[in-house]
Amino acid sequence: MQLTTPARRSALRARLSTAACVLLAAATPAVGHADDTTPTTQLELSSLLYGENQRTTIFEPAVRATRLFSNGQSVSAEIQVDAMTGASPSGAVATNQVQTTTSASGTTQSVQAGVLPTSYFQDVRGSLDADWSLPVGSLFTATSSVHVSKEKDYRSLGGSESFSLDLFQRLVTITAAASFNHDQVTPVGGTAIGLSDGTTMLNFRSNPKRVSSGMLGISRILTRRWMMGVSGTREIEKGYLTEPYKVVSVFSPINTPGEDAPPGTGSTTTLREKRPDLRTRISGSLSSVYHLSDDILYSSYRYYWDDWGVRSHTLDFKVRHDLPNHAFVQPHVRLYAQTAADFFRFELFQGDPLPAFASSDERLGPLRTATVGATYGFRIPNAPGDWAVRGEYIRQWGNGHPDYAPSVQRDINLFPGVNTGTLLVTYSIGF
Amino acid sequence: MTAAARTQRTEGPPTAAPSLTRVAQHYLGRFAAMASPCELLVDTDDAAEAAALLQIVAKEASRIEAAFSRYRTGNIVHRINNAGGQTIVMDAECAELIDYAVTCLEISGGKFDITSGVLRRLWTFDGGNHSADPAAVSALLERVGWHRVTWRRPELTMPAGMEIDLGGIGKEYAVDRAAALIAAATERAFLVNFGGDLFASGVCRDGNPWTVGVEDPGRTGEAATYKLEIERGGLATSGDARRFLMVEGKRLGHILNPITGWPVEGAPRSVTVLAHTCMEAGTLATLATLEGPRARAFLEEQGVRFWLA
Repeated sequence: MQLTTPARRSALRARLSTAACVLLAAATPAVGHADDTTPTTQLELSSLLYGENQRTTIFEPAVRATRLFSNGQSVSAEIQVDAMTGASPSGAVATNQVQTTTSASGTTQSVQAGVLPTSYFQDVRGSLDADWSLPVGSLFTATSSVHVSKEKDYRSLGGSESFSLDLFQRLVTITAAASFNHDQVTPVGGTAIGLSDGTTMLNFRSNPKRVSSGMLGISRILTRRWMMGVSGTREIEKGYLTEPYKVVSVFSPINTPGEDAPPGTGSTTTLREKRPDLRTRISGSLSSVYHLSDDILYSSYRYYWDDWGVRSHTLDFKVRHDLPNHAFVQPHVRLYAQTAADFFRFELFQGDPLPAFASSDERLGPLRTATVGATYGFRIPNAPGDWAVRGEYIRQWGNGHPDYAPSVQRDINLFPGVNTGTLLVTYSIGF
Repeated sequence: MTAAARTQRTEGPPTAAPSLTRVAQHYLGRFAAMASPCELLVDTDDAAEAAALLQIVAKEASRIEAAFSRYRTGNIVHRINNAGGQTIVMDAECAELIDYAVTCLEISGGKFDITSGVLRRLWTFDGGNHSADPAAVSALLERVGWHRVTWRRPELTMPAGMEIDLGGIGKEYAVDRAAALIAAATERAFLVNFGGDLFASGVCRDGNPWTVGVEDPGRTGEAATYKLEIERGGLATSGDARRFLMVEGKRLGHILNPITGWPVEGAPRSVTVLAHTCMEAGTLATLATLEGPRARAFLEEQGVRFWLA
């Protein structure tokens, strides 16, 4: 008899362990199992800190409780609070002059020449989500969800229903979902008339916004290491889709004859932005989960387009690498590129006819973002629960030198971009 | 007092119907399944609870035996082996087991093969000296080899005359499944032991983990048992000191190499492995045996605790 103690974990053993885990996890519940188990509760506490460089800061704590019942039913509820403070771009363009802007709460702020004007804001949003998932037979699951959220000038109420069906020995899963949201936008100080200077109000009531969407997806296990999924969504937004406090700059050239103003010099005023009241958004995505010998590689690609002229591509990669003692590390890279909406303008020009719609919201602009980050999951020895810490760095930029920029703005980046850092800490415990 | 689970011997013959007895601070349930004495030890004072848990384990053992034993008719393995070349559609659980077996085949370089069972017809491991007829082995090898099988989950097509045998993983699978059901049903420390392949979980109320005796067939008396404490893990043994042949002075164990059709030479008589699950332990023990004289080196590479005899 010889005794030997462990040295290290070989690739062969890692593959064997994984195969054994997959087998034991996938096994169908046995006879006599269902009525012998007690319900279990999972509690997840998380806290997200989101900070844009010199702009918005968001603190978002959340609590989610899930109760699993022995018949496969589950009920979960989540309460989330977002505390947002900071400055968001007002939409006005940077110029070679000092600019003053007015915020939602009536305060004014001036910015230096060459700097993108922003408006200060502070808001707290509270939201409540509840899901109920009910398996019908062993292959069909129906999930119903309701959502409600409230902040100073926005209220959202919604519900969704989704169905998933497992076919061909659970190798194929088909998911269909539909959701409807009824939102109310009640801008502080009234709803400004679009493309006006904001002194005349359209109304002081709330403005409805209705969002309905449908999703169809299919995922298939191709080999025991590889699963692929395809899905498509279609969403229609109707109603007040304008951002109530965002503005568009109007550039007036100074060309008084006989004066010595440099060519292209001008002054700017601002108009409130205006968007169409209908938007149809469609997206298709392809995702893959591949189990390498030790690691799991998640990758996905999404193509999105809408009738506002925005087209986008998203590529996302994650690799999960397991470490000893239930720890893991998961690096993450995401690349995103979109075209601008048809009515996106960095600015308008005095004297030109007003377009039907205009917005300078950078989220409708020719935007690129790159995200790099990593999640580290671990357990504290002799303490219950799982911890995960995720950090991400997001770089957002765009083409800030449009052809139509007057000469004084040629040297100013109208789309300076922003750097964002996020930190998410999650703790989950079952009992 | 340390909770002792003697893995290689049971007190008295197991009866067909599950029986429950009080042993120290635990309840010991016993029944017979898969041609082995089966035991469940639960660290509880509650007889009703122990009886309910024993029912779960006994039911699961008999379910797995009925579903996957090649000695039963009408189950999926019987249908595969009697399909006559027709395609058979697997249920999800059988498909998972076959996928697992394919993983084992791949990592063993073809030596762990669930189609190799037919070769056993040519070999009688009774300690005697009559080896199989080489011509018969060559002929039968035509009917062995997973590469002849078409596996497009969940559909399996196998040439007529071939057979699969999930016996090499079935008992360990049953142990882990039974353990998972017990873990879902109770917080108590328990030990599931099916004929020496076992899974232990939890620390007993007296603060001690389960202690398992690993027998050394080469010794006798008190030294014959190595005492091993398991807080959570699976233990399995490959090999049987009583099942071998002596041919031209060489001892041939009962594990056959499906590539040559002959018993593996130079393998340890018995390989016991401790791993996260009983399946993993059992598969590593079999893979080590298939490595023959390299068994020790193979297990050292895997970073597991093991015992060779």
